[in-house]
Amino acid sequence: MAIFFQNLVNALQWGSFYALIALGYSMVYSILMLFNFAHGDIFMVGAYIGFGVSTGLLALSSSGALAMPNWLILVLTILFSMFLTSFVGMLVERVGYRPLRNAPRASAAITGLMIGIILETGNLVLMGARRVSFPSLIETTVYNVGGVFVTNKKIMIVLVSLLLTFALHQFVRRTKWGMAMRAMAFDFAVVPLMGVPVNSMIALTFAIGSALAAAAGILFGVAYPVLDPYMGILFGWKAFVAAILGGRGSILGATLAGFLLGFTEIFVAMIFPSTLRDLIAYSIILLILTFRPHGFFGEPYSARLRL
Amino acid sequence: MPILRVHNMSHDFGGLRAVQDYALEIEMGQIRGLIGPNGAGKTTIFNLLTGIYTPTEGEILLDGKRINGLPAHQIASMGISRTFQNLLLWRHMTVLEHVKMGHYSRIRYGLFGAFFGTTKRHKEEAEIEEKAYTLLDMMGIRHLSDQVVLNLPYGAQRRVEMARALATQPRILLLDEPTAGMNPEELGQIMEIIRRVHDELGLAILLIEHRLKVVMELCERIQTLNFGEVIAEGTPEAIQNDPGVIDAYLGKESVF
Amino acid sequence: MPVKERTSRNLLAPYSRVPLLGWFCGALIAVTLERFAGIPIALALGLPKIPVLFGLDIMLKKPALVPNAILYVFLVYGLPMGVTTRSSISLTNRLADWLIRFPIAITVAVHLALLYTTLHLWAGISDYRALVLKLTLIAVMLTLSLNVINGYMGEFSCSHPGFMALGAYCASVFTVGLFVDDRFFGAVFLPPALGPFLFPIALILGGFLASFGALFVAIPSFRTRGDYLAIISLAFLFIVKSMIENLEFVRGPRGLSGQPDWADLPTVFLWTVLCVWSINNFVRSTIGKALNAVRDNEMAASAMTVDTRRTKIVAFLFAAFWAGVAGGLFAHVLRYVNPSTFSIQNLAEVLAMVYFGGLNSVYGSIVGAVSISLLGEALRPLEIFKWIIIPLLLILVMIFRPTGLIAFKDLDVTSLLRPKQNPGGEV
Repeated sequence: MAIFFQNLVNALQWGSFYALIALGYSMVYSILMLFNFAHGDIFMVGAYIGFGVSTGLLALSSSGALAMPNWLILVLTILFSMFLTSFVGMLVERVGYRPLRNAPRASAAITGLMIGIILETGNLVLMGARRVSFPSLIETTVYNVGGVFVTNKKIMIVLVSLLLTFALHQFVRRTKWGMAMRAMAFDFAVVPLMGVPVNSMIALTFAIGSALAAAAGILFGVAYPVLDPYMGILFGWKAFVAAILGGRGSILGATLAGFLLGFTEIFVAMIFPSTLRDLIAYSIILLILTFRPHGFFGEPYSARLRL
Repeated sequence: MPILRVHNMSHDFGGLRAVQDYALEIEMGQIRGLIGPNGAGKTTIFNLLTGIYTPTEGEILLDGKRINGLPAHQIASMGISRTFQNLLLWRHMTVLEHVKMGHYSRIRYGLFGAFFGTTKRHKEEAEIEEKAYTLLDMMGIRHLSDQVVLNLPYGAQRRVEMARALATQPRILLLDEPTAGMNPEELGQIMEIIRRVHDELGLAILLIEHRLKVVMELCERIQTLNFGEVIAEGTPEAIQNDPGVIDAYLGKESVF
Repeated sequence: MPVKERTSRNLLAPYSRVPLLGWFCGALIAVTLERFAGIPIALALGLPKIPVLFGLDIMLKKPALVPNAILYVFLVYGLPMGVTTRSSISLTNRLADWLIRFPIAITVAVHLALLYTTLHLWAGISDYRALVLKLTLIAVMLTLSLNVINGYMGEFSCSHPGFMALGAYCASVFTVGLFVDDRFFGAVFLPPALGPFLFPIALILGGFLASFGALFVAIPSFRTRGDYLAIISLAFLFIVKSMIENLEFVRGPRGLSGQPDWADLPTVFLWTVLCVWSINNFVRSTIGKALNAVRDNEMAASAMTVDTRRTKIVAFLFAAFWAGVAGGLFAHVLRYVNPSTFSIQNLAEVLAMVYFGGLNSVYGSIVGAVSISLLGEALRPLEIFKWIIIPLLLILVMIFRPTGLIAFKDLDVTSLLRPKQNPGGEV
């Protein structure tokens, strides 16, 4: 029983990463009907930016110029990296997707894929082949709750993720920009007629999505400090699966699906030999999709031009 | 002997009854009209007849054989063909390719011929092409045969749609607003084409139209649909004077 | 017209009258020249050896030798081809005209024989060239088969590496198990001499296994399309990869080696020709055009008697078959296969080739596969920067020609082989 709860906690943590990344996919998809295949790599870029920022802040702090407690450094890292990574996202949109706004979506998807490769290679060029380690900013304390060992890191990760998801939800529901996004998701063509600056809103969508991915990257770095340039590939594509599983453009769906994916992977690894994890987890996903082909909260597919 | 008989056909979309007790009997060579205000359910009836939806209740008999519930492509190969209100053409394909596609279900050379380019396949493809050109001639668009339909003017596209529908060698042709968006000159041409198709091929034709002039001139009998139900049925003259029809269209004003 | 423009126009105009036969002959002459005089020419030009990849390899490794390399390419390829094709225009056109009167199979055979001889001679210079050529031909098969699903049928399928993997492993198990050693089926019980004749069976079995796998993507495609199908195909890819990694039978992640050396250039060439031929036949038939109809409007296709389910299944299974055969060939060219090859990176590469070359086009796939493969090889000295240049190139193509370089263009063999000029000299 304790093992079950142990894995539950792990699953919540693992699912948080997928959920945060899936949110970015879902937001862009709901508005542009486009999957940003560079998104996983933006997660990676966010992690590396976080590495840079935290290392810089640590140096600053230890040199005595601006002494800060580690937890403050972590908070600042998260905020600052989210901010910086949002620009990366906006740049990707401006350079890669805006010229293809009227092109077939498959072409835009390929462009995204290529941009992702450039980001990975760029990282390799800049940082070299050696792996970097995210600085340790939190002392690991382990709490024993009735036989279940929970680290403070895991709790923090899950809490921060839920907080960010909640913040996003409020933003979309309550602000006028959020309303504009929902309108664009509903009927893209009409929105500019209402005086909404479409290009800015799209940029904002990418910015927010990228910021969330950056947060996921940093949280990941806290939990698993060793970063590598290809970390975005597997996470990115799996989060993509989660985004679709959750249903087109549904924030709640993306979050739930992200956690579901995390749960599936962790619990499958608990029951079966870990090498079978992907095999079984994805067979389950495939089965879900066969019976609910439109995801949890998605609308039925309507004929849409693809070429 | 009616080629198509529909009894008590009704259809629900969730809680909404879109079509109520529709009935139809049509024989080869007859031209029938189906009119009614927007949203009355006319296209839904076409979709039901062609197998896009399976009717919740009722029966559709083609040549005495029950076809409701069969897949759309099978119904099409059994002899019912249609055009679409919104011109569902295949944007990247040429005119000739559109018309050849109607022969799909009659192809005998199979996958073997398709993969290996057998003589049988070449012969059959040549036959299909011949038949396609004949139809294009009838529609007057043979000179456009290698054009990609995306580039064609609207009037030509309408003709491609009709040629495509005829390529399946139907016995019943369902035309969904064939004159939509046309100017008076194009209108006359399309009406001419419909008459020619009817005279030369002897098909049964069911026509949805908003332009009452077209319906009055071409159709022998007309059904008027409102809110999914047939509210009047009869000759053009009878329909013209039917108070229920007038009321459905324009309130108490005469529309004719 | 300014003098400079007129001169260049006059210079290049005759080349439009060279039939395909002329180009093949010219290429043959060039590679023959290289075969017999390549080394002396290279040495005379100050190059250490014959440049293996049109000089690009040397240019990137030793920039000082760029002018020498260019001169080599000009002297060995450019000049001979340019001169012989131009001077023999009337001869080659007459020959082409004569050839085309035969049944098309013969005309094609002659052209293919010429092409093969050229490739054989070119590859004979070094093992590296032979390897690059074989891998490029395999890339053509992969690209074209993916184009059937992504281009002709307009899906976005991510499962191709999975099909390739199934074919690679199946063919390998067959050949290794029956001919090499006893790890799969016990003692080797077939005489090794029989091997090369049974190799096609190994490849076909691999293709069939891949087709079987394709059912798992094709059947869901009945109900879902577009993006949902993308993740179904992606899930399929993860599953196949994971499955292979867990099969101790084929040594899991350590990979399977020891495949017999039966994938020589003629074999790979022939399979590629078969692939291009059968796919081209298919997509030009009315049955094949149904793929386009289903792509462009599925409801209308149904209404025009097209069985959309059958169409989708045929397309997926047929494409997967060729991906499986390509995988089998790949395993036997490298004589080693392991699951990490069939990854997201592989997917990105093959997608790049399809979209770069052009959707819905046999020409496009050939061009895309050859360009990206050769470019990839040529840029190898740049190491990691290769993966900035190639993606950038693709992005540029996507921005300016979103459906690829040569999209939607039919390959009509007869008009390809036709003379470009009547015997009387008219065009």
